[in-house]
Amino acid sequence: MMTTNYLEILTLNGKASIQDLGRLNTQHLGFSVSGAADEHAYLYANKLITDHYRKITACNESTQETCPALEITLGQITLRANTACTIAIAGADCQVKLNETLISNWQCYQLQADDIIDFAMPKIGLHSYLAVLGGVKGDEMQQAWLGSFAQTENEMALNVTGNKLKVRSKLFFPKQELLTATTAQKQRLKSAKQVTFFEPNAPELFYPQSQITLRFIASALFLQLPLKKQNAFLTTNYVISPDSNRMGYRLTLKNESIPKNKILTDKLRASCVLSKPVTYGMIQLPANEQPIILMKERQTMGGYPVLGSVMQTDLFRLSQMRPGQGIKFSLTSHQQAQQQLQAFYKKFV
Amino acid sequence: MTTQKNHQLSATFSIEVVSENAVLLSWPQQISAEQHNNIIVLQSALKQKLSSLIVDSVASYHCLMIYYQFQLISTEALIEKITTISTDTNYVLNNPDDNFSNKQQPQACIQIPVYYDTLQQWDLQKVAQHCDISAEEVLKQHSSTIYRSYALGFTPGFCYLASLPEVLSVPRMSSPRTKVPKGAVAIAEQQTAIYPNESPGGWHIIGQTPLPMYQCKNGKFIPTITVGQRVQFYAISKTEFLALEQSATL
Repeated sequence: MMTTNYLEILTLNGKASIQDLGRLNTQHLGFSVSGAADEHAYLYANKLITDHYRKITACNESTQETCPALEITLGQITLRANTACTIAIAGADCQVKLNETLISNWQCYQLQADDIIDFAMPKIGLHSYLAVLGGVKGDEMQQAWLGSFAQTENEMALNVTGNKLKVRSKLFFPKQELLTATTAQKQRLKSAKQVTFFEPNAPELFYPQSQITLRFIASALFLQLPLKKQNAFLTTNYVISPDSNRMGYRLTLKNESIPKNKILTDKLRASCVLSKPVTYGMIQLPANEQPIILMKERQTMGGYPVLGSVMQTDLFRLSQMRPGQGIKFSLTSHQQAQQQLQAFYKKFV
Repeated sequence: MTTQKNHQLSATFSIEVVSENAVLLSWPQQISAEQHNNIIVLQSALKQKLSSLIVDSVASYHCLMIYYQFQLISTEALIEKITTISTDTNYVLNNPDDNFSNKQQPQACIQIPVYYDTLQQWDLQKVAQHCDISAEEVLKQHSSTIYRSYALGFTPGFCYLASLPEVLSVPRMSSPRTKVPKGAVAIAEQQTAIYPNESPGGWHIIGQTPLPMYQCKNGKFIPTITVGQRVQFYAISKTEFLALEQSATL
């Protein structure tokens, strides 16, 4: 008999979806790249499992790094495992309980059949990740769609990435190594509920406290602006607006007073009207001069003038920030941004 | 401070570093079939010659975004390669016996059936009033033009088609609809398009097509209209619409 292995969603009050690093090569067809809002927490969760797996099996081969995981927004989800499995939790701290006992965030755990894991609403941050050895799927037969399992809210109508997750949805995972491990290994795993630490530094330190300065690569349009206008943008205090989501972060001015002089003149604005391709982190400036930062579920085309692009490692930090928190901008170069991103990915290889 | 990164290559386009892993090529801001053809010819040359470096490329009216593996090549070296290839491609465009330009010969024009909004459920009447012509004239103008597909984006399978006859030019709606039906044929400014699925949208709906805008087959996404193709609309009756809609869902 074929056994199915899954975690079942018992309650769900927040938002949950399946995410990986997204589909990077289908923007030319109009697909959003999508993928984990906070790559740091997502990759960290998978890395915890990779290291655990390596320790148990003494095998260096692993394809865990970019396996699809559950992205939970604002916690409030309960799941039950129907079979033993290795999981890791990371991201916004949801005071997770394993069978009523509080467990630490940024750790790997061994679940047994019928274990119940419960995420409360986080006090800070937005997105939490639940990774499972071998990755999760919304449907047992689900295949990657154009190279990724990532779900995109605006594309669910295409019915190619499974159903929207709700109460009673099951998250399927492959048969786990544990089941075929030697008795000694099984004993070792069972005795240690909490396993592995791969980074001694506290991963929480990656995230800013209440406000963030986003480093961005200036666009040609921004560099055309007189110094006074550039400085006006660089000295403005913005606040994250409540209508921000996985598609984009909308910003409003911290002080209600609207500046006398606009950053973009009508003439410059009129010179950018035709829709063009847009990328992750672009700072759009609509006519009301309240910037929009494009995030993972952005559309592929945009018609608003663009001031530049926020460097990606800062976007992972931004994704955990909530409405009301403060934003400022500062300039960086593409070389610096590339160095940071490369160093970031190296941590997870 | 940022480095100098607006590489003016020739009179035709500039290259801007827009992200860790993307550069944007920009031509003069205009809707021009000839310019757009040059863009997609260059796109196919770059895809072919830099296939190990380029992850994806997205063309629009006057831009070409190139996503690349920044771990494998420096931005400066990539820009140099793009410049060299564009020079070769320009040469090729001016020499008609080349294979790139041959690939871009006019293809058959895709015919899209439209049930125009004669029952006035949507915006046909408002558009007619705004343009100061009859609804029949809107229909006639919209269906007598052959459009070019300039970009694919917004949502999967959504094609930006241009140019609309000047008489039909209407600004985008001041407040977008939260729900536009699947297959809605809509216009805004110089453009027309079909909404592939129900989605939010700020263009004026003048009709609806029963023709699906894409197919998902064997793990592949096949858009009905591809970038660079020619498109024309033709009017159908409500009965024909319903019959075609039914056969499309079978």
